[in-house]
Amino acid sequence: MDLLSNLAMGFSVASTPANLVFCLIGVLLGTLIGVLPGIGATATIAMLLPITFQLEPVSSLIMLAGIYYGAQYGGSTTAILINMPGESSSAVTAIDGYQMARRGRAGIALATAALGSFFAGTVATFLVAIFAPPLTVIALKFGAAEYFSLMVLGLIMAVALAHGSVIKALAMMVLGLLLGMVGTDIYTGAPRFTLGITAYADGLNFVALAVGLFGIAEILRNLEVEQTREVMTRNIQRLMPNRQEFREMAGPVLRGTGIGSVLGILPGGGAILASFASYTMEKKLSKHPEEFGHGAIAGVAGPESANNAGAQTSFIPLLTLGIPANPVMALMIGAMIIQGIVPGPNVVSEQPMLFWGIIASMWIGNLMLVVLNLPLIGLWVKLLTVPYYVLFPIIMAMCAIGVYSVDNNTFDLYAVAFFGLLGYVMSKLRCEPAPLLLGFVLGPLLEENLRRAMILSRGDPTTFLTRPISAGLLLAALAVLVLVFLPQIRSRRDEVFTEADG
Amino acid sequence: MTPITRLMQGAALAVLMTGAAAAQDFPERAVTLVIPFAAGGSTDVVGRIVAEKMSAQLGQQVVVQNVGGAGGSLGAGQVARAEPDGYTILMGTVATHALNPLILTQKPYDPVADFAPVSLLVLVPNVLAVNPELGVDTVQELIDLAKSEPLAYASSGNGTPLHLSGELFKSMAGIDLTHIPYQGSGPALTDVLGNQVPIIFDNLPSASSHIAAGSLKALGVTTTERAASFPDVPTIAETLPGYETYTWNALFAPAGTPPEVVAALNEAATAAMADPDVQARMTEFSATIVASTPEDLAAHVQAEMEKWAPVVTDAQVRMD
Repeated sequence: MDLLSNLAMGFSVASTPANLVFCLIGVLLGTLIGVLPGIGATATIAMLLPITFQLEPVSSLIMLAGIYYGAQYGGSTTAILINMPGESSSAVTAIDGYQMARRGRAGIALATAALGSFFAGTVATFLVAIFAPPLTVIALKFGAAEYFSLMVLGLIMAVALAHGSVIKALAMMVLGLLLGMVGTDIYTGAPRFTLGITAYADGLNFVALAVGLFGIAEILRNLEVEQTREVMTRNIQRLMPNRQEFREMAGPVLRGTGIGSVLGILPGGGAILASFASYTMEKKLSKHPEEFGHGAIAGVAGPESANNAGAQTSFIPLLTLGIPANPVMALMIGAMIIQGIVPGPNVVSEQPMLFWGIIASMWIGNLMLVVLNLPLIGLWVKLLTVPYYVLFPIIMAMCAIGVYSVDNNTFDLYAVAFFGLLGYVMSKLRCEPAPLLLGFVLGPLLEENLRRAMILSRGDPTTFLTRPISAGLLLAALAVLVLVFLPQIRSRRDEVFTEADG
Repeated sequence: MTPITRLMQGAALAVLMTGAAAAQDFPERAVTLVIPFAAGGSTDVVGRIVAEKMSAQLGQQVVVQNVGGAGGSLGAGQVARAEPDGYTILMGTVATHALNPLILTQKPYDPVADFAPVSLLVLVPNVLAVNPELGVDTVQELIDLAKSEPLAYASSGNGTPLHLSGELFKSMAGIDLTHIPYQGSGPALTDVLGNQVPIIFDNLPSASSHIAAGSLKALGVTTTERAASFPDVPTIAETLPGYETYTWNALFAPAGTPPEVVAALNEAATAAMADPDVQARMTEFSATIVASTPEDLAAHVQAEMEKWAPVVTDAQVRMD
């Protein structure tokens, strides 16, 4: 069988001592930068790009890929421990992961994230190996209309993310959409809401927004109430999940892997949706939806698996089409071109050693990550015992460096400060930042694809319904909407009844 | 004259003198090459390859710094305002030194007055390509089809060289095509490969693998001569005489950089471009090496601005 011999060739490439070392360096670096708040994979890969000149093409790409999915692992560590998501995908992990940490279950949350990610990574790697070419065909079926409908579905899911008032979640989402509009209108070139500052011409920096809203706001809030941190450190019990918890995470991990693998393939925004979609699904399927937002293990297991599966399958459009699914992939393309490899549909046939070597290394890398991360959990959790007057200034400094390194832009630092204050105000008003973040990420994609679809259809809005994939997605959005509001209506009715009884 | 202004003049003189002294043994420390686009793009690739070889020539590290944003204007503006000592230089393009200054209503810098040209490094052809399902094989067939039914073309964004290549094509062929801008080449290519949009104007390097694989059909390159990497692809000028556009990359220092420093940078850049390794990479990349003198680059910028001014006006491309 072709697949087996190809995989065998891949493993023989990936398991040479040199490549194993580069894979290890990659995942180690990735974990480290993922753990440091604010510094993302994009900045690190950009900084390391010149070094890859000197390496073999396979080794350099194995290392860069390792940084990328290593950062996905590391990113969830900060999200869980200090409520500081470095990537959009770990924003979801922060919701329940941080709550688990506050209840003394930081170790369990971290272990869940690591094990879920490993499982998802393994499965997704095999999916890449088996289905890469046919899956590419599906990705190409997604035009502007389909992306628009997908974003609608994603935004509706955002409402389900909220564990408080639906109205507040909607308000936050709309605020996110508005913030997403900052920048240049790509169709007319008109600047919008940039306050005349050229540095905002390309919009607000996502990392700045996320670090401010989640991290800085959380620090401000913690300075107000010192007791919560004491609770966190005093109550740390077990580090590893018990049998009951394993049972609770199995389903979410499986479903998350499925969702993540499918959405990861779509270039442009698909992978972002994966963890949000998984969270929504788990909350809907759970017998105890009220636990979500208060430390539900499924709320960590599902999104983390989805996020990691998506990270792996997002290599499919890169390797088979030469098309980047996200900024990190764009850098990988740059790395390939610098090495004299032209990324595109021919890479699989012309560079089989490279293609299968990278795929095999992903599995090896995932294994390394889980071996590396499980023993580290104890160490990370110890971080929580660091007194806040030491920890917080370090976090703030790392954030500032990380955010600045993305684009070397001082205005991004002003944005961190502003959104830190906004996040603090929001937490006082009991408004959650997650729907805002999703609105911010999806809003520009929604608008861009809506307008593109309308131009392509010459102003005919039925294009969203006559194209089957688009119509299916809109139907799914409608279904989610019904699912979200039905229990609400029902519970309100129950409330009325209970009050009447009393 | 107040003591303060005298002091300032003295300080300015001192700065000038140390500047002149520094020029003798330039470079004494690392040189920063600002690339005004995100890492991974074609300008970034050219920049990093050149930076690596220039480091060897200068005996000092040439550090690449990506300052992306506003179509290259942020990075270019940063170099325009940098200390004119040769330690901060820019990888300029047709966008930063011809199109943006014409398109932007608020000009963040002057492409001529604010820069000391160093060297025009490479010319990169663009290509007009279609999805094979469109069923046209030549530029003429495309023009005929566009006259009978409405068509759309994709580009990497509003006001980019590729958008304006498309607009120039429209006006010279006397046809109308709907422009669909994307955020970069990648997403534009995806939609053309998936036949969501049938036509694309793209950089030849970015589209080349798809042309070679047959998933895109190249109708014509935008240069007056055929590209060495695709000798079978005709030029658009073979159908529309006089049609010529290309993307270019050139090094600029801030205006006021001492001529000796510019000469040292030019020498290092020219030597880097003569390196066989660089030549091989650039050929793979479908780029033509120029490695011009500073004077030729100055003339080139003038010529490009004159060429694009009417196209920008006709297409009514404007950005505030």
